Amino acid sequence: MEVDAENGLLQRKQSIYKSLDESFMIEKETYRGQQYSQIYFARLHLMRTLLYSLLPTWKPHLPVCTVLGLEEGKDCIIVGTIYKHMKLKPSILDEYSKERSAGPLVQPHNFMHSDDYLVLEDESGRVKLRGALLLPSVYVTGIVVALHGKETGAGDFMVEDVLEAGLPHQIARPLNSGDDKFVVFVSGLSVGSSSANPLHFQLFVDHITGHLGDEKEQGIAAQIVQVVIAGNSVEFPRGLLNGQNLGSRDQSKLSEPIKELDILLTQIAAGIPVDIMPGENDPANFALPQQPLNRCLFPGSAAFNTFRSCTNPHTFELDNVRFLGTSGQTIDDLAKYSDGKGKLEFLERTIRWRHLAPTAPNTLGCYPFTDRDPFFVEVCPHVYFAGNQDKFEASLIKGSDGQVVRLICIPRFAETGTAVMLNLRNLECHTLTFGSHFGSSGSSVNERLELKRSSFVSSYSGRYLSVVSENQTL
Amino acid sequence: MAETAALVNLEEIRSFVSDRLQVVSYKWLSRNFLVSSNVAKRLLEEFVEKYGDGLVVIYSLSGWLKNNPTTYHIRLVPKHMLSDAKQEFDGNCSVQVYSIQACLPKDPATLWNHEFVQAEDLFKQPSTVDNCLRDNRFCGVVNSFVKRTGGATPLGNGSLQLKSTGVSGLSSSYSTPQTAAAPKSIQKNVQNAGSNAGVQSLSIAKPVKTEGHVKPDLAEGAQVAEKEKVPRSLPNNKKAQSGKNSSGTGGALASMWGRAPTKPKPDASLVQADNSRQNSSVSAEDQICARELADYGSSDDDDKDFNIKRTSNGQGSRKRRVVFSYSDEEDEYENAISLGSPDPPKKSILCSKDNSKASTPECNLSFEEKENKPEVKKEKESEANANQHLEEKVVAVDHSKKAESLASEKTLCHAPETDASKKNNAADVVPKRRKVLKTRIDERGREVTVVVWEGEEQDTKSDNNSAKTAENNTASNALNRPPVVRKSPAVGNTAPANHAGKAGNKKAGNKDPKQGNLFSFFKKV
Repeated sequence: MEVDAENGLLQRKQSIYKSLDESFMIEKETYRGQQYSQIYFARLHLMRTLLYSLLPTWKPHLPVCTVLGLEEGKDCIIVGTIYKHMKLKPSILDEYSKERSAGPLVQPHNFMHSDDYLVLEDESGRVKLRGALLLPSVYVTGIVVALHGKETGAGDFMVEDVLEAGLPHQIARPLNSGDDKFVVFVSGLSVGSSSANPLHFQLFVDHITGHLGDEKEQGIAAQIVQVVIAGNSVEFPRGLLNGQNLGSRDQSKLSEPIKELDILLTQIAAGIPVDIMPGENDPANFALPQQPLNRCLFPGSAAFNTFRSCTNPHTFELDNVRFLGTSGQTIDDLAKYSDGKGKLEFLERTIRWRHLAPTAPNTLGCYPFTDRDPFFVEVCPHVYFAGNQDKFEASLIKGSDGQVVRLICIPRFAETGTAVMLNLRNLECHTLTFGSHFGSSGSSVNERLELKRSSFVSSYSGRYLSVVSENQTL
Repeated sequence: MAETAALVNLEEIRSFVSDRLQVVSYKWLSRNFLVSSNVAKRLLEEFVEKYGDGLVVIYSLSGWLKNNPTTYHIRLVPKHMLSDAKQEFDGNCSVQVYSIQACLPKDPATLWNHEFVQAEDLFKQPSTVDNCLRDNRFCGVVNSFVKRTGGATPLGNGSLQLKSTGVSGLSSSYSTPQTAAAPKSIQKNVQNAGSNAGVQSLSIAKPVKTEGHVKPDLAEGAQVAEKEKVPRSLPNNKKAQSGKNSSGTGGALASMWGRAPTKPKPDASLVQADNSRQNSSVSAEDQICARELADYGSSDDDDKDFNIKRTSNGQGSRKRRVVFSYSDEEDEYENAISLGSPDPPKKSILCSKDNSKASTPECNLSFEEKENKPEVKKEKESEANANQHLEEKVVAVDHSKKAESLASEKTLCHAPETDASKKNNAADVVPKRRKVLKTRIDERGREVTVVVWEGEEQDTKSDNNSAKTAENNTASNALNRPPVVRKSPAVGNTAPANHAGKAGNKKAGNKDPKQGNLFSFFKKV
C-alpha cells in the first residue's frame, strides 16, 4: 500500500478493467414471432462442431451416427441435445386437462422424480437413453453431449460413455504475480426489504470505501479495486404493481428503495469502481440475458466514471483475470430440475458443459435469439460466480489443459451480511461479514443472522478451507 | 490540529448527544463538521474519555475471526460486550468508537438512520455540487481516478427537470434543497467553478446564475406538474422559454446598454451557454449554433442583471398565461427604461437584434414545432438570416406600435409567442378586422404580439387584467430594480419575485386567458 505523502492518505490500487459484455447485449430487440428452436439449433451446431473436433482424441475408432442412422447392436457415437422428460415439470397444459390424473406430489425443493428419463435428439430424430452411466438426475434439458453406445432391441440407446464439452480454453495468466488486489462480490442487497438490515450495508460501504477502522483496515480497503453487485439489489412491494394507477404514496414506495440504493451506490462509486448487474427482483427485463439497469434509475451514481451498469450474465477482465458470472437464476433453475450436492456443483457442471444456462429457454426465460446462443462459454473464465445463493461457497476446479477456475457462490447479503473478497493475485477468497449485536436488546434479525452464520461456517469448512486456508497474508 | 478542533467540537458533540438525544456516529460527525473520518473517530474517542460516563458507546470491531480464519468480520458492539466480542477475534482486532448515544438503541438500524438522513440531504444537493458524499473526501483511501461528470450540468439538470415534471412528489423534494441552498451561493460558486469541467473559464458570476436559473426552473417544473399540464408540452415550453431567455437578456441588455459599462464578450456567450445547457431538450446542433451566434453578440451585461433576468424568467414561465401578463408590465417598464436611457433607441434595436440572433435557434425550434416550417430551413446561416429578418420586422413593428402598446396598458396578451409571430406575418394581409396588433419585446425578449379586438374584449378582461397588473407590478418591481438588488442577487431577488409569481399564478389561474384567444378566433370566422 502506498501512502500519499502529503496528507497521510492511502492510495487505492488500480487495475485495468475491460468489459466483455457485448455478447450479452441485445441489439435491436424484437419480438416478431421468433421461435426458440433457433437457439437450440445454434447451440447444437456450435457444440457439435466442438464435440466432433474432440472425438478423434476420445474414441477415434468409433463411427459417428445420427439418431436416424442408428443400427441395432452396433457401437457408435451420437451427438445431440439432451431432453429430460420430467413427470413433475409444471406445464401450463395441466391446468386445462379435463381428467384429474393422480400425479405424484412435487417435492418441496425441486421437480425431480425417479421416473424421469433422458432423450437425445438431433435434427433427424430422437432416441430414449438408457444406462446407469448417464444419470437423469444430473443432466437437464438443453445440454449437448456426445454419447458412446448402441441401440437396444427396444429401440433405446444404451449409453456406455459420455463426452461433455469440458472446460474451454483458458487464457493463461501467471499466478502469484503482482500485488494483492481484491474484488468484492456482493449480491442480494435487497435494499428496501424489511428483513434487510441497512446498517450492515452501510458498514460494508464504509469498510470498502475506507471510512471504517484503523489504518490497517483501511489498508485492506485500499486494495479493493472493484466491486461487483450480482443482482437483486432492491426489493419493492410488488403487490402495488397490479396494473392500476398508483397513488403518489405508492409511487414513492416503489421508488424509495432505488433512491436509497442510489445514495449508497454513490458512496461506493465515489471511491471504487462498481459493476451492478440486474437480478431476478430488479427493475430490469426478466428474460436472460438481462440488460443493464437503466442509468436513469441512478441519477446520483451514474455520474461517476466508476459506475457501470452491466448485463446479467456478466463477463469482464480485470488485470487479465477473466470473470464470468450471473445473478444466480441459471444455477437456481438447475437446482429445480436436477440434483446436486451443492450450488458449487451446479456451477461446475455448467462450466464443464460449456454452457451458462442450458435450461434456457426450456425452463428459464430467455430472449429468442435467432442467430446465436450467447450462453455458450467460448473462453474459460478464471473466476466464475453466481449471486444470490444461500451461503458462501467457493472452490477451485482444474481442467485437463491446466485451466484453473475459481467458483464462487455469493450469498445474499441482506440475509447473511456476507460479502466475498477475491484476491486477484492468487484467486483466493475470503468472506467479509458484518454484524451488529447489541446484546439482549439486539433485534431478532441479527440473532437470526448470527445463527445462520455459525451454521454455514460449519457446513462449508471441509472442502473449502483446504483450498483457501493459507490466505492469511494480508 | 485535531486537538484544537476537539476543543471546539467536544462541547457541541455533547449537546448533540445529551440534549438532542441524537446518535452521533463518526461519519455523521465527519460530515457535519467537515473533518475526515479518522479525525472524527479520534474526536469521538477523546470525547468518550472525557465525558463517556452515562453515555452508551458503540464500538466497531474488525479483524479475522478465530473460529473461521477466512472471515474478516466487522461488528458493532456496545461497550459492555466489548471484551467478550474481542475474544472471538483472532489476534489483535481494530477497535474504534463507532457512535455515542444517550441510550442503547433497540434496533441497530437506528444507528444507520440518522446517518442516512444526512447522506440523503447531501445527495439531494444539486448535482453540480461536489459535496463530501460525492467525492468521498473524508475517507482514508483516496482514488484519484474517480471522475464525476456531475459537474456536467446538462445531465444533472436534465434529470432533475425530468423528475420534477414526471413525479410531482419528487419534484418538491428536489426543489427544496435548492431553495435552501440559494443563500450559500457563494460557496457554491467556488465548488461549481471547480466542478464544471466544460465551462472552466467562466467568471465567478456564472454559477450564481445557474443557481438562480435552476431553482425557479424546478419550481416551474413542480408547478407545471401540479397543474397537470401535459408533460409532453413541456419541452416546447422549455425551448420557447430558453429562446426567450436569451433574447430576454437581450431586452435587458437593450435597456442597460446605455448605462452598463462595456465588459468582455464572454459574458454573453456565457448566458448562451447557460441557456442552452439549461434547456436540455435542445439538440447539440442547436447548442453549437447558439454558441456560435452568441459570439456575434457584442452585448454584455452585469452578472447581476442576468441574475435578475434569470429569476424572473424562471417564474415567469411557470405558466404561460402568467408569463404573458407579466410581459405586459415589464415590457412597459423596459421600454420606459430604454426610452429614458441617454442612448438613442437605435442602439437598443441593434443590440436586441444581436441577441435575437443569438437566440434564433431556439426560437426557431419552437416555431418549427408549431408552424411546421420546413426542416430545410434549419441550415444555420439561412436560419439566422431568416430569423434576423423576422426579428427586424418585429422590432420595427414593435417600435411603431410602442405608443399604442403603452396606451393600452391593460390589454391582455394571451396569444402565445408562436401564434403571435404567425399573426405577425399574417397581420399585413388581413387588416380588415378591427384588430390591433401590438408587437414588442418583453422582458424575456420574445416578440409578443398582442391582438386586441377592440370593443367587447377589453371590457371583459379589464378586471381580470387589473388584478394581474397588481401582481405584476410587484413582480416587475422586484425584477427591474437592479441597483437595489445588486448586493445580494440570489437572495434578494428570488424570494420576493417568487412570492409575487405564486400569487400572480393563483389569481390568474382562475380565469383562462386563452378564452379570449378562442373568442377572437370565432369572431374571425
